Amino acid sequence: MTRWLVAVMLVGLGSVSPALAADEDTDLNRIPTEASPAVAPTQPAATSKDVNYIGDALELSATRNGLAVPFPPPQPPSWENWLFLDARDEWSLGDAWRLNYSGRLNFRTSNSIPFLTHENVRNDLRELFVEWQPTDTAWLELGRINIRNGVALGFNPTDFFRPRTVIEPLTADPSVLREDRLGVLMLTGQWLWSSGSITVAYAPKVTRPTPIYGIRTEQNFDPELGQTNTDDRVMAKVSLNLADTFNPELLYYHAGNRTQIGTNLTTPIGRSTVAYLEWAGGVRSDLIADAFRFGATTGSLPASAMRLLPNNADTSFMNDLSVGVSYATANRITLNVEYHLHQAGFSAEDWSHWFNTAAQRGSVPGVKAALWFLRSYAQDQQEPTDRHAAFVRLDWQDAFVTDLELTALATVNLQDASGFLQATAEYHVSRTWTIAGLVGGTVGGRRSEYGSLPGLASALLRVNRYF
Amino acid sequence: MRCVMSKNATRRLVLIAAVLAASAGGARAQSAHDIIAGADRVRNPGEPFRTTTILTEYVRGKAGDQTMLAVYSKEDKTSGQFRNLVRYLQPPRDSGKMALLDGQNLWFYDPAAKSSVRISTQQRLVGQAAIGDVLTINFAVDYTGTLLGDETITDAEHQTRNCWHLDLRAATSTAVYSRAEYWVEHGSFWPIKSKFYSDSGRVLKVLYYRGFMQRLGAVRPSGAVIIDAVDSTLVTTVQFDNPTFQDIPDFWYQRDYLPRLRPE
Repeated sequence: MTRWLVAVMLVGLGSVSPALAADEDTDLNRIPTEASPAVAPTQPAATSKDVNYIGDALELSATRNGLAVPFPPPQPPSWENWLFLDARDEWSLGDAWRLNYSGRLNFRTSNSIPFLTHENVRNDLRELFVEWQPTDTAWLELGRINIRNGVALGFNPTDFFRPRTVIEPLTADPSVLREDRLGVLMLTGQWLWSSGSITVAYAPKVTRPTPIYGIRTEQNFDPELGQTNTDDRVMAKVSLNLADTFNPELLYYHAGNRTQIGTNLTTPIGRSTVAYLEWAGGVRSDLIADAFRFGATTGSLPASAMRLLPNNADTSFMNDLSVGVSYATANRITLNVEYHLHQAGFSAEDWSHWFNTAAQRGSVPGVKAALWFLRSYAQDQQEPTDRHAAFVRLDWQDAFVTDLELTALATVNLQDASGFLQATAEYHVSRTWTIAGLVGGTVGGRRSEYGSLPGLASALLRVNRYF
Repeated sequence: MRCVMSKNATRRLVLIAAVLAASAGGARAQSAHDIIAGADRVRNPGEPFRTTTILTEYVRGKAGDQTMLAVYSKEDKTSGQFRNLVRYLQPPRDSGKMALLDGQNLWFYDPAAKSSVRISTQQRLVGQAAIGDVLTINFAVDYTGTLLGDETITDAEHQTRNCWHLDLRAATSTAVYSRAEYWVEHGSFWPIKSKFYSDSGRVLKVLYYRGFMQRLGAVRPSGAVIIDAVDSTLVTTVQFDNPTFQDIPDFWYQRDYLPRLRPE
């Protein structure tokens, strides 16, 4: 009896059940009969890292009425269009030498600039450098180079070379902003071994700082070294591969008369989550004092502007921190949530002073412009204006249909609950065409960080053709 | 006396039966591991190698997106698992993107942003690094197998194959899927089919290996078909082209090497 039972069980296991066979048939019937198309273009292009495309972006903007602190002229444009050629290329100059170029040539039109003048054309030289690899594990690079540090998304305290590098953002998405910024003229060296690496960089001072540009004061083909190379700067970074789950980075940075140290830490938690922390600290004065000093240095503000708002010109140790988690779901959604601390940024008291000064002394010529200069300075330096912020970003790949990517992000000032919101839809129509739409806006009370901005909402349409 | 002897004999028989049963169980478990390891040896050579992997996505039977990757694989002799470096070659918008997939040391590099982001195990299957299925992986390291029995199935080329049918459960936190079913052909140890499940027990994908041919010193599959069980319109074919043994230094498998990797 037992023998029969075993036999029946074995037969049962060995044969294909009708349900299983039906499933299998369904699966097998779905295998494409059409041959895979040949991969185009041909291999030489495919094995390079070059990415070149022509793009067009049209942005429409709506401004806010009844600002708590009126924005000085010129007013932001209500529409702008960029037609651009974006290139990222590399050429081999022999076994150990390479030449790298990255840049964007723009043709801009807007209701803020006259048509068909030199102002319509601008070239952004992001990178141009020579790379030499003397040994298998060592590299030296010389030229304009974009070095980016940091593991967070919304604010990168250790991204020491970020100040004054963003050219003209088509989006406020920090992960996209990094893609279109100027490098710094520097000499770098990197050495790798199996459990880590050391990177050093020296960026010389080559000129004096230029003022923060406006849409009417940009230069066509100027490499903008007055933004990127106005101090002698040194950076050293050590990356250690201590374990699969722990690869800390330790950083040292010295610019002018200031030194900062920093670290980047990440670790996976379970199968779906990554936790990260990015910290930098150093002795400095606060944002307001730095902004007034910069304004005086570049001739944008009189030296007396320093007394316009209370500030801490004395230096003390200040911290910058981004701490967050990234969570990925099985249906291709990735959520990032971060907290940002920028100790040199505006406190609640600083915001009160900013609004009250405008209310009490706004009629004095230059006062409103000086107040707005503080905020332009923060944006130019890519420093958060506020001291405490939250950042949320949600990315959904293949949303609803294959090749549609939806992104939504929000930055919230935790002191006044105002914020910036943005949603993007990007669709890869084919292997060479991508279209995207973006809407963004600011929300908040009249005397809040984002509710006081002139930009209320914007919409952008973009088309890219890769080749 | 006879009765006592009978009792002793019975005890002995029970003991022998128990030992046999235990050893049979052990042999069965060992056998499952041997089968999985045998199929691993068919899929993956023991030496470091490079391959060009072409993924073609079919929507309702019509070929759409194609992704071409250069994959550099090397077995970690300590863990027994493969370390993978992946470079995106096509489409043009993704050219130069890179991924390091080495145990839990998972990073994605975007040359446009010039930055590396740590990704989770889950993100090997979602997001920009949706390449978990095409990586070189030793199943015997990441999964514990149970032999369910024998089964005759039809392969991707409509040939009948007599297979071992195995149930795989994730044994490490780096396993791409929490559970899989696996069909391996008797004798040849050719992997024929696998079925992958989500954490919640839902079938996600059915994968058929195909195009067995001589390459990298043995007969190995030259491609696979991945049938999406969630989206019934979607099928992805995988083609492993130009496999070549290549000496790959250990220092390649770290985040800071990603910007330096260039296809040869």
